[in-house]
Amino acid sequence: MPELHIPVETETLANGLRVVVSPNYSAPIATIGVYYQIGFRLEPRGRSGFAHLFEHMMFQGSEHAAKMEHIRLINSSGGVANGSTRYDFTNYYEVVPSNALDRVLWLEADRMRALKVNEENLHNQRDVVKEEVRVNVLNRPYGGFPWLDLPPVAFRKWPNAHNFYGDFADLDAASLDDVRAFFYTYYAPNNAVLLMVGDVDPKKAFRLARRYFDDIPRQPLPAVADVAEPPQPEERRGRVEETFAKIPALALGYHAPERRGPGWHVASILDRFLHGGRAGRIYRHLVLEKQIALDASGGFNGSSGSIIDYNGPTLLVTTIFHKPEYSAEATIAAFDDVIRDVCEHRVSEDELQQVKVKLRADFYSMLESAHGGLPRVGLMHTLACFTLFDDGPHHINTAVDSLCAVTPAEVQSVAQQMLMRENRAILIRQPAPVQQNQDHCLREVVQ
Amino acid sequence: MTGHAPTAVPVAPPALGPERAVEWPVRTLRTLANGMQVVLAEHRTVPKIGIELFFCSGNGLVARRSLGISELCSRVIRTGTAARTSRQIEEDLRRMGASLSTMSNPDYSAIAVSGLSEFAEGILAMIADLAQNASFLPNEFERERRQRLEELKIERTTPGFLSNECFRRVIFGDHPYAIIAPSESQLKSYSVQNLKSFYRENYIPSNALLIAVGDFSSAEMLGLIEKTFGSWKSAAAPLFAADIKSSGHGRTVDLVQFPGVQTEILVGNLALNRQSPDWHCALLANAILGGSFNSRLVANIREQKGYTYSPRSIFHPLRHAGYFSVHAAVRHEVVAATLTEIFYELDLMRALPVSDAELRGAMNFLCGAFSLGVATQDGLLGQLSTVYLDRLPENYLETFRDKICALTAEGVLAAARRHFHSSDARIVLVGDRAQIEPQATLFGEVRFHDNNRA
Repeated sequence: MPELHIPVETETLANGLRVVVSPNYSAPIATIGVYYQIGFRLEPRGRSGFAHLFEHMMFQGSEHAAKMEHIRLINSSGGVANGSTRYDFTNYYEVVPSNALDRVLWLEADRMRALKVNEENLHNQRDVVKEEVRVNVLNRPYGGFPWLDLPPVAFRKWPNAHNFYGDFADLDAASLDDVRAFFYTYYAPNNAVLLMVGDVDPKKAFRLARRYFDDIPRQPLPAVADVAEPPQPEERRGRVEETFAKIPALALGYHAPERRGPGWHVASILDRFLHGGRAGRIYRHLVLEKQIALDASGGFNGSSGSIIDYNGPTLLVTTIFHKPEYSAEATIAAFDDVIRDVCEHRVSEDELQQVKVKLRADFYSMLESAHGGLPRVGLMHTLACFTLFDDGPHHINTAVDSLCAVTPAEVQSVAQQMLMRENRAILIRQPAPVQQNQDHCLREVVQ
Repeated sequence: MTGHAPTAVPVAPPALGPERAVEWPVRTLRTLANGMQVVLAEHRTVPKIGIELFFCSGNGLVARRSLGISELCSRVIRTGTAARTSRQIEEDLRRMGASLSTMSNPDYSAIAVSGLSEFAEGILAMIADLAQNASFLPNEFERERRQRLEELKIERTTPGFLSNECFRRVIFGDHPYAIIAPSESQLKSYSVQNLKSFYRENYIPSNALLIAVGDFSSAEMLGLIEKTFGSWKSAAAPLFAADIKSSGHGRTVDLVQFPGVQTEILVGNLALNRQSPDWHCALLANAILGGSFNSRLVANIREQKGYTYSPRSIFHPLRHAGYFSVHAAVRHEVVAATLTEIFYELDLMRALPVSDAELRGAMNFLCGAFSLGVATQDGLLGQLSTVYLDRLPENYLETFRDKICALTAEGVLAAARRHFHSSDARIVLVGDRAQIEPQATLFGEVRFHDNNRA
């Protein structure tokens, strides 16, 4: 089996900013990211959607780079930039020809040091975010399924369960004072990691990091929030009406083991047995063999993430679109056949070996290009998560090996502990009755 | 000001350092005795390979008979061969760390696998098996057909699909490119035999181009390819060509009913493809108009007015033609306001030369983005497929940046006048008629579509 060794060098500035550099000179491109350890899980109550709205505000101007200037400087250097807000972090990244490294660091430092935004910017981005919610959630079939639908059913604590994209009333309530408070509380160098990967000389990279970021003062950080969920005594269920499409869908989420706790690695392997495309057990059983479902897929907190992206309550989610002639109950029963099998019978060495080979191959592809095919964004992202949540960017060189050490007995044991009915939540997304007035979108949760 | 501290670092953005040259990949080209073309490029970022076998026959070839035959054929070939069951195919792929996709677009059909490079021989054998020995078992066919039927129903409730479908009809009229999906009744009418004959006539070496990118030695890879595909028998390849007619003069407005909370707007026209001498100049004009975040459309209707989240404009090159579109999804009350701004920006591009700063910025953007595009195995494979499928000059990659940097503001103005239509633009709106009809009529006589095509 081929091995891939990723060079990793680290330094922590006096203000607490962690800097991680991973050089690779195969192309004259640098991938640069700043990750802040604040995601939508910990946004203020009464301000649902604020962490994401704030991410938009980070592009609205800083002390020396006015609105549009940040993106103009990146694009006209031949690069691209983006940001995203997730459960436990918010990231900002640039992929640029490597001669723009100085410029990118200057820009990132400028907005870490001082945002410069006004009422007009806030009003403008609130409108933009509402259109984003309309296009991604409200005006399309299965919008928000399951990433916004399932958490309110599965979780009891507001940080884990609220509407992460934001209720419009909460977005309207957001003020410049909120922007300031959020910035001072969380956008501090000692709550962030700076990553530089690709065509970057480590010595020069650390020197530039000190040059641009050293004078940004550290801030007192709030106490670590307790987001752990209370024990769940029984299966939870909820329903959301599907406004547009006519095909019924289901999402089933099992609470995953705690980060780096017992069973955490094994849960990743279990995910690959159950999901993992057309060879996965759920797709094979429900779609190819029983032909109850039209599609089935899954992953941690939906199909987008990997388990390393989270630092708090996380679900292993399966989403199923099933034929209308089968009821939700019949579909769940067929799904339970797969779960029972993986709990009752030890997986074969052959199947486990297939899963491990594919996992290694997918890990390499993810490092090379993830998130829209941009070079090394996956490597940057993985280093960031290991740094923020484990203080261990070097895990990148052992992550696959620890997964590949998992045995059939461990898979069975973790399946038996994790894949219990009492440990899951089910969200049923069914088409609206034919005569339903479609002017409003029903999102009632039944528990 | 929301700031942590006064600044001690430079107040102006640092200049760009000296650029390190991009190394364009060396290609190895061969045509096998049976006519199959082969393009290889070594690329060792990760111990993987990507191999894609293209056939120059896609949905366009069969659109008049029924477009769905080509796409359904692509789906069914992965469900069984003479030697492997559906389950064996999926498990054999997983054993090689491989992902498979089989697809059909207007111009091509393709079988693509990416996997660990140590399994190159097995991956090639898998591709050859799917390309030559697909078994089209009736039960597999029926299952895939049913899945496609249900997907079609979902597509028909998706605004993005509905706007594209209507737009392509308006742009391409009776040309095969006008159709993007089969109807349900067409899909129901196919037989296994339809798929088998499409497969027999089109999945042949004289119609094939194989591109491999990744961690391998070209000499060894070529040997493996000859061993795997050399004995494949050829036949005459089918031809697809159809004249494109201009879609006429004057603005047209088509409104597709969709009872949602937003209107999808598409504005555009028949334009050009990569064979046109204007191609580079059109790309540059588009980067300034709406082809990057730092563009006029984004600055106007997103960052200034807040009408939309992701406005964009794009040239869509197909093999025999191309088209241009501006896209925005907006709340109902600003449909007319958004269209007014879109036409303002189109007219401005057609009326006045762009500034030198905008021109230089857009040149750098296109040049940089182009080199980002060849830095990964997938990206390089995509670029090479563009060059060799579209039969572009051998040195297309190497000369792209020089050609972009030689363009002028006058050239951009001329290209904008030719390829961004204003008074002859086609407008497609997908939204709630009751809420947007009065706004739509401001831009021309409105043709209504009730979206219950079956």
